[in-house]
Amino acid sequence: MTRTLFAVLSAVLFSGCVVFRGELEADPVTHMLLQLPALALAGVLLLLATDLRFVKLPAYFANAITLVAVFAVFFWMLPRYIDASLINPFVEFAKFLTLPTLVGASLALAWRQAHPFLRGFLKANAISMLGVLGFLYIHAPLRICNSYLVSDQQRLGYGFLIAAIAVSLAWTFPLFFPSPSETGASQSKTNKVTV
Amino acid sequence: MSEAEIKPHAGAVKFTMLLSGLVFVLMMALGLIMRAAQGEFIELDPALFYQILTAHGAGMVGVAGLSGAAIMWYFVGRYVQLSAAMYWAFLGLFLLGVVLILSAIFLGEFGGAWTFLFPLPAIAGGAWEPWAAATFILGYVSIGVGFLLYYLAIGYPVIKRYGGLARALGWHVVFAGADPADGPPPTIIAAAAVTVFNTLGTVVGAAVLVASLVHLLVPGFAVDALLAKNAIYFFGHVFINASIYMAVIAVYEIVPEYTGRPWKSSRPFIIAWSAILLFVMAVYPHHLQQDVVMPGWILVMGQVVSYLNGVPLLAVTAFSLGVYLHGSKARWDLGLSLLVLGVGGWSIGAIPAIIDGMLVVNKVMHNTQWVPGHFHIYLLLGEVAMSFGFMAWLVRKGQASEAGMSTLDKATFGTYLVGAAGFTMVFLISGALSVPRRWAVHLPGWILQDRIGTLFAALVVLSTLALVLKYAVGLGRGQRS
Ligand code: HEM
Ligand SMILES: [Cu+2]
Repeated sequence: MTRTLFAVLSAVLFSGCVVFRGELEADPVTHMLLQLPALALAGVLLLLATDLRFVKLPAYFANAITLVAVFAVFFWMLPRYIDASLINPFVEFAKFLTLPTLVGASLALAWRQAHPFLRGFLKANAISMLGVLGFLYIHAPLRICNSYLVSDQQRLGYGFLIAAIAVSLAWTFPLFFPSPSETGASQSKTNKVTV
Repeated sequence: MSEAEIKPHAGAVKFTMLLSGLVFVLMMALGLIMRAAQGEFIELDPALFYQILTAHGAGMVGVAGLSGAAIMWYFVGRYVQLSAAMYWAFLGLFLLGVVLILSAIFLGEFGGAWTFLFPLPAIAGGAWEPWAAATFILGYVSIGVGFLLYYLAIGYPVIKRYGGLARALGWHVVFAGADPADGPPPTIIAAAAVTVFNTLGTVVGAAVLVASLVHLLVPGFAVDALLAKNAIYFFGHVFINASIYMAVIAVYEIVPEYTGRPWKSSRPFIIAWSAILLFVMAVYPHHLQQDVVMPGWILVMGQVVSYLNGVPLLAVTAFSLGVYLHGSKARWDLGLSLLVLGVGGWSIGAIPAIIDGMLVVNKVMHNTQWVPGHFHIYLLLGEVAMSFGFMAWLVRKGQASEAGMSTLDKATFGTYLVGAAGFTMVFLISGALSVPRRWAVHLPGWILQDRIGTLFAALVVLSTLALVLKYAVGLGRGQRS
């Protein structure tokens, strides 16, 4: 039942991103902060709709797949590829392919099984990356993307800043008040997948 | 896993403390050189003076953080299983940072002080190249990443074992009425608080470091100077204070071995540490009292929190220490003496700090030697004393309760105390007489004080050298037996 729901949601999200491509990509804020995460989320939901969600990976493999996702994110954070996706259909196609698979599905598969220190480090890194991106886009002395204006760029910078603050709050609060299941699992070595 | 399996990483910590002791002596020697140059005992090219000032500041703050971190690692390791690999990664990144910083200073001639205040690193007037400033900043980044790993490695098992940071801070005792006996031990409360505020401090520091780095490489990326100053002093204040708050854990854990009375996580203790968590972050504006463009309320907050900041420390740690020691049959040895000195020096040093935190005083005292006067008290007679107390305890002979103090120990301790007290007092007096800080060349009227200060400083260097030697010999003996 939930599986079908996940599959349907995934399909809806993905097709939404395709159908409203023009609208979403007209503004860098919705392009970077809405379309890209939505594509990744579609990948997450797709994986959760399959049996792959129960697969137990060897530790090193889980870490490696997590890192694949991270590097895919890095790639799509580079302004030149975002720019290219607007004019080069091949790059656009790659974006629609890799974000759900390499980022979304990879994380859904491996994140929970990755080493807790790796996860913590990546979270801290994500917060500072968002902060740095915010700084860069707000302060850049030149226009970074051919397709977007300087004022768009600055709005995107504030968007990144807000995202950084939101994400750090969302990740810090559970450290103070974790759900019992999270700390209760401390003794058993295997972390169950609970998404 | 059973409690018995949990053991501190004694080897790694002992090694770190040896390293820290050596760096303390080396950096003190640099301090002595600066003081002797101000007193015209020796001649020093001013450019070199500022490089040495930078190395001394960054080196001392760094090694205070390192020794504090090693102490906290050791004692947290009594309660939870820590990852040795993460510790070595931390130490490796730390040492990489040291190499970068030393290269920036002594090869690149960077002399912009440990505070790297924007835009000085970029506008050097030809004194150093941008690459030197960039290397210095990369060194800080490496140390920052190291500390991030360190706190991750402490925070994760503590959260797992104690059920979240809120419980590790003892909030269920204070707010939900749980019995203090169900609260976490003092070490865990302190470790949880430091983990929270120093992680935040490190993140803020990293942000301004990256911004400064980008500005160095692409000068078009301007940085808001006032925002950068706020961020730098938030980071700087939090980081150096964290070093003391980590080192004081040695007092909580070691003193009970002498007094036979365990240090308890009472309600006041828990409240004090939660207050510290807030105050240590809210108090940083006392560094910006000359910046009249700052909103008035922030500066007033800095002053008010400066007053409050002393309360948890004085009322809880110093007062409890007095109570625990009073009437106990503790036998004094070098370790205990240094630990008690550490708490005393920390508390006394807070007083001139609070005075300087008042806006009316700060107007006059801000850039005088009053400032190095007060922080050398709570670092030299505080953090450093605690670190050497911990080291003496690590290599003690037999049970803590049976030890005693040899004549050599007494002479070493006395020399250190007299030297450090005199050295810092001279700074305070000079400050009260408006001698500026951070000046390579002093006016003739200041030279006498500089010379007296230099002599006291020499006593500190000598006695510290003796402390390091005793520790090294003790380690060697421990290895053989
Ligand atoms: C024998 C011991 C020491 C001596 C002789 C010494 C000497 C000095 C001198 C001469 C200065 C510059 C004062 C001025 O601005 O005119 C200074 C600054 C400083 N010292 Fe020390 N010091 C000693 C120990 C320490 C310790 C143990 C620490 C920290 C753990 C420390 C941290 C600093 C810091 C942070 C500065 C400020 C640097 C700056 O202004 O950028 N010092 N010290
Ligand atoms: Cu401060």
